[in-house]
Amino acid sequence: MSKRKTIIMPCSGIGKVHGLIAREATYAAADMANAETLCLALLVSGDKDARAKIKDADCIAIDGCPKLCAAKNVEMAGGRVVKSVRVVDSFRGHRGAEPGTATALADDGWKIVREIAADIACGLGKSEVK
Amino acid sequence: MKRVVLPCNGLDKAFGVLSCELALKLCETNGAQIVCPVLLNNSPARYEKTLAESDLLVIDGCPTRCASKLANNLGLKVDDKILVSEQAKSSGLEIGDSLRPDPVGMQLVDMMINDLAARESDISTQELIPGDFESPVDFLSVTHDKFIFKIPSQGYLFSENDTWVRVIGSRARVGVTDFVQQNLTDITYFEPAQAGSQIEQFDEVGSLESGKSMTDVLSPVSGRIIAVNIRLADSPELVNEDPYGNGWIAEIELADFDSDKELLLDAQSYSRIVEKKAAEVQK
Ligand code: SF4
Repeated sequence: MSKRKTIIMPCSGIGKVHGLIAREATYAAADMANAETLCLALLVSGDKDARAKIKDADCIAIDGCPKLCAAKNVEMAGGRVVKSVRVVDSFRGHRGAEPGTATALADDGWKIVREIAADIACGLGKSEVK
Repeated sequence: MKRVVLPCNGLDKAFGVLSCELALKLCETNGAQIVCPVLLNNSPARYEKTLAESDLLVIDGCPTRCASKLANNLGLKVDDKILVSEQAKSSGLEIGDSLRPDPVGMQLVDMMINDLAARESDISTQELIPGDFESPVDFLSVTHDKFIFKIPSQGYLFSENDTWVRVIGSRARVGVTDFVQQNLTDITYFEPAQAGSQIEQFDEVGSLESGKSMTDVLSPVSGRIIAVNIRLADSPELVNEDPYGNGWIAEIELADFDSDKELLLDAQSYSRIVEKKAAEVQK
């Protein structure tokens, strides 16, 4: 198994429920898999330490929409994206779901958060999902 | 004018999370529009129209100031700025490390919303007051080696800390002298003080940063800060170009100018201090 550290990064989808799901899923997955997170804005603003950090890590990008801001920016900064998750795709299995709003998730939104986080944690060999 | 907010949207720092909360709350309560920092970086054209038609508020979580850097890189005109960690410090609120905003964090967010509202009314009051703060035309010069330091010969008073003050009625404009700007060389960053706050003589009224060093600007007078030069957020080089005019730092509603004056110098006396300092810098 890779000795590289894992960094999970969501897009900055602030102001949209998909973005909030990406952010919450990042926190949940990082908790379950004991992985790190990093401010995407820090990376985008060209911070040297942030760039150095992702160079030595396997990055998992969680994006709210198909624009894939997180995945693209991690790659542009020289990072290796080992898994790219799109929140919109998770809605396919939840037709008619009511996820909540950009500021507060409803039950359906949290359900999707847990699914994304569990999927990531399992992929990292942390299957004993809380 | 409509307001748009550019938050750093930090994720792994408590102050970054609060910057995000503040942006969301401003949207909900004041109808502000959020600019996503990453999308802005990738496709600035997308926000071109919105930014041209609105006042831009930049919110940074911590002193890394990601959002400010981004705005600066893209050459955006910044109308106001907030640094959440600084706000926490000045309000005395203890913000822990938790990435879930707790009641204290939300109290800080509410305080910042109130401060912003107060700041807005300060700035509009300032626009209504007529005042003549044009750049000076007559100067004394102090020459040292290959350097020439200019000092306005009339209408300005100076502190030993190399700041100037120009008074009109009960208002004063303050800034740094030519000596400071030449010593700092190219100024790249300006951090304003909080508009609306009350300061004593020689309290901090902003800070300037260049590749060479950083300097706190100490106000030569006491009073209430009624305006900060927000143009410097975008164009800090104005301090280099016109330190006594367009590069002003703040406007103060004077509290006790008569006693402040006792510690201030006229152009002649200040020029002697500059001579000495220039000789020391040279050593
Ligand atoms: S300013 Fe600080 S909190 Fe905000 S994105 Fe940058 S590093 Fe994170």
